[in-house]
Amino acid sequence: MIQMFHVEKAYPGDPPTLQDINLRVEKGEFVFLTGPSGAGKSTLLKLVFAAELPTGGQVLVGGHNVGRLRASGIPYLRRNVGVVFQDFKLLPHRTVAENVAFTLEVLGAPRREVEEKVERMLKRVGLLHKAGSFPPRLSGGEQQRVVIARALVNEPTILLADEPTGNLDPALTVDIMDLLRDVNIRGTTVLVVTHDHSLLERYRSRVLRLERGRLVYDGMGPP
Amino acid sequence: MTVLSLARLFLRTALRGMRHSPWVHGVAVLTLGLALFAAGLALGAARWVDALAGSLGGEVEMTVYLAEGQGQAQAEGLLAAVRASHPGVEARAVSPAEALQRLGAQLGDLGAALEGLPDNPLDWSVELRLPRPDRSPEALASLASELRALPSVSGVDYGEQAVARLEGLRRALRWGGLLLLLVVAGVTVVVVSATLQLAIYARREEIEIQKLVGATDGFVKAPFLIEGALQGLAGAGLAGVGLWGAERLGAPRAAELAAFLVGPAGLPPLASPWVLLQLALAGLLLGLAGSFVAVGRFLRV
Repeated sequence: MIQMFHVEKAYPGDPPTLQDINLRVEKGEFVFLTGPSGAGKSTLLKLVFAAELPTGGQVLVGGHNVGRLRASGIPYLRRNVGVVFQDFKLLPHRTVAENVAFTLEVLGAPRREVEEKVERMLKRVGLLHKAGSFPPRLSGGEQQRVVIARALVNEPTILLADEPTGNLDPALTVDIMDLLRDVNIRGTTVLVVTHDHSLLERYRSRVLRLERGRLVYDGMGPP
Repeated sequence: MTVLSLARLFLRTALRGMRHSPWVHGVAVLTLGLALFAAGLALGAARWVDALAGSLGGEVEMTVYLAEGQGQAQAEGLLAAVRASHPGVEARAVSPAEALQRLGAQLGDLGAALEGLPDNPLDWSVELRLPRPDRSPEALASLASELRALPSVSGVDYGEQAVARLEGLRRALRWGGLLLLLVVAGVTVVVVSATLQLAIYARREEIEIQKLVGATDGFVKAPFLIEGALQGLAGAGLAGVGLWGAERLGAPRAAELAAFLVGPAGLPPLASPWVLLQLALAGLLLGLAGSFVAVGRFLRV
């Protein structure tokens, strides 16, 4: 599903953010990406949804070479990749339902289909009763659920989550992680960036560890 | 999603954007309206001068003086030749006696002096009133030189200077109007573009999320283009109302002047359906041009 071959990412004037990254994530896997701040975790994630392009090597997502994609092809790649951000990126003047529907509107889905899918997705994340609320009135955990619903509503094959529990208390963290596990069980490939060691202990999954832009560990459970 | 529902979605997004910052869009629409109103007035003034020029052109008469010794037969021959080459021309021959009588009438008290002349010094002449297509300065000059070349003709007079000045005025107004239109177009494009730059800035989060969830360039840009077009149309509507109001307020006074200058036909209306349609089209195009500039410069997707 995701493959990287000798991937490098460097910005002019700075040392490389990523160096010689080789990895392969299979369809339906649940993978943690961990490492200290500045190790290159978010950059690696950005390469997967083509927010950044590699300066060396090759990134393949769903068989497509990201570095060779035309600008016009990037939106179509992103439709298969749901992204969850630590800072939510919700539109404050739109309701929860409208925020979730946003993804489907962009895809040009008919209104009836949008309504059905949004309702189903909000039910799945336990927020149907908040469909008409505006994001600023929701708790952090609820907002993160809305983001997950928005990322999943068009049924992407890959879900990327960048520190999805970074702003949440332990109870809400478990809540969100259980939701992500559930998404994975239903067949979506999930890649979660975290520096929370307790999550790696609690959810025994494959862990990738980055340090100073290099992949230093790839195995089951925490290093 | 059908094209219609997609268009509805874009329109909804554009209207939401306009509601989001009503003052900025209001100022843009007002500026556009004022610019188009000025352009509409200039257009109206140009049409008025055209009407005036047309009516004055109607007063232009050409007098062809026959050479000394030429008689009625030559005058009649010239009449026939001119009528054949210029259908629709009104022409009549003026005898030396009639010409002398007219001169006496024009001189008033001094006219009595003419009675003492031993002979009538005036010759036969032919007066021509030309149909509208032949009243342009070029057509008049061409006919005059054609007639001057005839051996039986000693001179031709049609108020060349007056016609040339009027044509100069028309030309100046036409170029001035064009220049004004260009300035209006430039200002409008800049205003719409600046407004949409602000709109793009205000909606940068939304644009970022749209891009993240896989929106195409066209999907992101379309609502901004629609916003520009709507601003243009709203500005044109405002200008139309202004022209209608100006016509209502100024029409009676203008009609009085018009009756004196251009006759019962009067002046062409300021806010005719055709003018309003032109304004709407101009507003739409200028709004779209402004939004294209803004989207091209400030919306990198």
